[in-house]
Amino acid sequence: MSTLKQLASKFLGHDSVFARRTAGGIQPPPFKEHSLRSRIMSTPIPPQLTIPIGPESSGEITRLVDIADQVLKYQKLAVISFSAKGRSDVPVHAPTSGVITSIENSIVADHSQQQQLCINLTVDGHDEALLLKPHTNHSQLSSADLVALIRDAGVIGMGGAGFPTADKLSAYSVLPIEFLIINAAECEPYISADEALLRERANRVVLGAEILKRACAAQRCIIAIEDTKPDAIAAIKQALLNEASNQQCCELVIVPSKYPAGSEKQLIQCATGIEIATGQHPTEHGIIMHNVGTAYAAYEAIIEGKPCISRFTTLCGQALKTPKNFEVLIGTAVGFLFELCGIEANKKQKSIVGGSLMGSELGNDKAATCKTTNCLIAASSNELQAPKAERACIRCGYCADACPSKLLPQQLFAFSKTLDTTQLLEHGILDCIECGACDYVCPSQLPLVSTYKESKKLIETRRQSLEYSDYWQQRFQFRQYRVKKEKDQALSRKLDAPLQSMQAAERAPKNKNNEADFISKEQASRDIAAAVARVKARRNEKNK
Amino acid sequence: MSALQAGAPFQHSGRNITQLMQTLMYALLPGIFASLWFFGFGILINIAIAITFAVLAEAAMLRLRNRDIRSHLGDRSALVTALLFAIAIPPGSPWWLVALGIVFAIVIVKHLYGGLGQNPFNPAMCGYAMLLLAFPLEMTGWHIPFEVITEPQSTDNLGILILTAEREFLSPLSWGGFKQALLLAFPFVASGVIDISEFVDGLAMATPLIEFKMAGKSAILAARESGASLFARESETAWEIINISYLFGGLFLLYKKIISWHIPLAIIATVFVLAALFYAPGSVAIYGTPYLHLFGSATMIGAFFIATDPVSAATTRPGKLVYGIVIGVSIYAIRVWGSYLDSIAFAVLFGNFCAPVLDQYCRPRIFGHGLRSKSRPNEAPVNRE
Repeated sequence: MSTLKQLASKFLGHDSVFARRTAGGIQPPPFKEHSLRSRIMSTPIPPQLTIPIGPESSGEITRLVDIADQVLKYQKLAVISFSAKGRSDVPVHAPTSGVITSIENSIVADHSQQQQLCINLTVDGHDEALLLKPHTNHSQLSSADLVALIRDAGVIGMGGAGFPTADKLSAYSVLPIEFLIINAAECEPYISADEALLRERANRVVLGAEILKRACAAQRCIIAIEDTKPDAIAAIKQALLNEASNQQCCELVIVPSKYPAGSEKQLIQCATGIEIATGQHPTEHGIIMHNVGTAYAAYEAIIEGKPCISRFTTLCGQALKTPKNFEVLIGTAVGFLFELCGIEANKKQKSIVGGSLMGSELGNDKAATCKTTNCLIAASSNELQAPKAERACIRCGYCADACPSKLLPQQLFAFSKTLDTTQLLEHGILDCIECGACDYVCPSQLPLVSTYKESKKLIETRRQSLEYSDYWQQRFQFRQYRVKKEKDQALSRKLDAPLQSMQAAERAPKNKNNEADFISKEQASRDIAAAVARVKARRNEKNK
Repeated sequence: MSALQAGAPFQHSGRNITQLMQTLMYALLPGIFASLWFFGFGILINIAIAITFAVLAEAAMLRLRNRDIRSHLGDRSALVTALLFAIAIPPGSPWWLVALGIVFAIVIVKHLYGGLGQNPFNPAMCGYAMLLLAFPLEMTGWHIPFEVITEPQSTDNLGILILTAEREFLSPLSWGGFKQALLLAFPFVASGVIDISEFVDGLAMATPLIEFKMAGKSAILAARESGASLFARESETAWEIINISYLFGGLFLLYKKIISWHIPLAIIATVFVLAALFYAPGSVAIYGTPYLHLFGSATMIGAFFIATDPVSAATTRPGKLVYGIVIGVSIYAIRVWGSYLDSIAFAVLFGNFCAPVLDQYCRPRIFGHGLRSKSRPNEAPVNRE
C-alpha cells in the first residue's frame, strides 16, 4: 500500500491522500436537497430552555447553580464528572441569560431516549453575556493549554457519540498521533448540518481543524468529505488556499459517496488504508477522528473563547414547509424548532431524531435538543414508514454485500432466531455497527438490526448471569472451604492446645525470668504429655 | 415485538421478493421465446400446466400450513419454480409428467421443508431429477413438430398393407405444430383420433451434446459445415440460440443486481476450463469443444437461473465461488463420464448438498478480525512544545 501511495504522490506532485475501497455499503437517496436550499439560520431565543446535563448514570453531576438563580449567557451551570470512568469533566453552560426555574429529569432528543437531568431556564430575553476571553493567536498556546480550554468550553463529539473532545485529544500524551481525520463524510440520508456548515463557514472549520491538530500534536490532518458535496468541497479548497501561508495545515480527501462512509473505522480505512482491528482503538494506530462540528466548536472555544452553547441541526421531513439547518441553542424544544420551519401538524406522522437509518423515534416533541442532536425529521405518513410485509429470508445475500463489517447478516438473523449465542459470537455479532444497511436492502424486509440489538442484549445478560453464577459459585466454594478449614482448625487446636501452651510458656520466660515459672513450665509440659497420652489411649481403645 | 418495530432504520430500498421474482421471470423470457421459436408450443403448454399445478399445490399447502394464501401466493416464488421446471422438461411431454413433477417440487421439496426460504434443495431441479429417475424414457427426447402424412402405399409380399409414414418438417409455430404439441401433452384427447405412439417414439430430437455422446457427430458442426446460418430456424442450431438467449437473460439479472456474478462465473469458467483441458478432437466425441459444452446444452440456464437460486445455494461470497466450481465440475463429470445424458439437475443438487458446509467454512474475513497484530514502532513522543 505504501508503494502505491508513493506512486500516487509522485504523479500528483505532492504528498496526497486518496480514498481506498471499503467493504459493503449502500447508496440510499440522500434527501438532503430540501434542507440545503436555504442558508444556516440562527433561531430566535426561545422563551424556555431545558438544558440537559446528562443522564445521572453517566457520571457524577455537580450543580453550580440553584433554583431561582439568575444566570448569564456562557455561565457555567453544572459539571459532569466522569472521573469514575477515567475521563475528565464536561461543563454545561447557559445558552442565554435568565432565571433557573427547576432542575428535573426530562426527555432529551438523543439516541438513547433516556431521561436526563435537565436545568429549566426561563429566558429573560436580555441575552446578557459574560465577557469572553478570545485567543486570536492560537499558535501561542501549548497543546495542553488548548486541550484545557476545549475541555473548559464543554466541547463534546458533535457527530453523535458525544465523547468529551478533550479526552480524545489528550490521547497524544500516551501515544504519538500521526493522523487527525476531520469527518465530513455525512453519509446518512436527511442529515445536512455538516455540509451546510462547511459550505458557509469552511474557513472557521479549517481553523478549528488546525487547532485540533495542534492540540493533539498530530503530524497530518485530513479532511474527509464525500464526493456528492461539491459546494462544500469547493469551500474547503478555498479555505485551504487562504490558509496556504500556514504551510499545508490540512489535506483534503474525497471519499466515494456511500453509506456508511462516515462510520469511524470505515472512514479511517478509506482515508488512510489502515484497518482497525476489533477491540483496538484508532489511537493505537496513531489516528484520531473528529467531526466537522467538533472542529467548529473548537474554533469557537479558542478563537472566540466561547463555550459550546449551540450546535448545527438539520430540520427536515415532508411535514415541514421550510426545512433548513439551524444553529440551535442547546436546550431548545424540538417542537419550537418544528414551529419555526412551518410544521403542518396534521401531516406529521412521527418525529425522528438522527438520520433515517440510525435515528430513533422521538416520543415527545417537548424533548430538548442536546449537544449531539444532529438532525430532526418530522416525517409525514408517506415517508420513512415501516415496511408492510415481513417475509421469510430467502438467503439472497444482499445484506452480506451491503454490510460494511463484512458480516453475514442472514446467518446472524437465523442464529438470533434460534438464540444460538455461540454461533452469533462466532459470526461476529459484536462487530455489527448497527448501521442498518442490511435492513435497507433486505427484500424480505426483515427487522435485522432490531433483532441484532436484542441478540446483543441477550448475549450481555447471559454473560452477566454467567459472571454472577461464577461469582456465587466461587463464594460458595470458598465458604465450604472456610467451614471445613475452621472445623479442621478447631480439631487441631484441640489436639495442639498443649503444644501451644508449651510454646507460650517457652516464650514467657524471656519476659519473666523466675524459677517458679520454669518449674510450672516443666510441670505443665509433663501434665500435657500425660494428657495427650491419655487421649490417645482412649482413642485407641475406641478404635478397637 | 413493538420494540422491534419501532427501531431504526426507517428507510428502505423498496425492493421486495415479489419484485425479484418478477424480474427473474422477465429475464427468462428471451430464452422461452427462443425455445418457442425452435421447438414450438410445447414449452408454452409445459409452462401452462406447470403454473396451474404449482399455484394449486402452493395454495393447498399454504392452506394446510395456516398461512395467508393471497399474500404468500403474491410473492410469485411458486411461479418462478414452475417456470424453471417447465423449461427443463422436454416439450411434448404428457401433462401428467409435468403435473407430477411440479406438485412434487412444491409440496414435498418446498413446503414440507418449511416453505419459502427453508428448502435445502432447489425444488424445480428436485422435481426434474425425480422424473428423470422414475420416467427416464419420457424425459430424454425433445420433440419437434412433424407433419405426419400417412398414405397406404404398397402391400408387401404377404399382402399386408404397410403404412409408411412420410415425415415432413412443419413450422413449429403453425397451427399444425400447435395441434401436435397439444396432442402430445394431452394424449387422451387424441387417443381416438390418431395413433400417437408412433411419432412419440420416433420424433425425439436430442440435444447436440446428447447426440455427441451417442452418435459422435455434432449436429451443430454439421449444420455449420453445410453453411447453415445461426438464425435459420433449424433445430440444429436451436440450442445455440437458446443458450445465448438465456445468457442475455442472465446478464440482465446481473445488471439488475438480482444475482451476483460469483456463481455463474464460477460455473462457466469451470466448465470451460475442464472442456478445454479434456478437449480431444478426433477421439471420443463427448470430449467436445468448450463451445459445445457451454452452448450445446443447458449450461447457461443452469449457471444463471438454476444454480443461483438463493435459497438452496451457498450464500457467502467465497462460498458461492466454491459452490459454482463444485457445480461446474459435476456438470462436466456427469456429462462426460457419467451415465446420464445431461447433468444440470444432479450437479445443482450436489451443490445444494455442499451449501451448508460451504456457508460454515467459506466465510469472509470480518472487518477488523484476523489482522496481524501490528504493533506501532515505539516512536519517541512528539514534541509537544
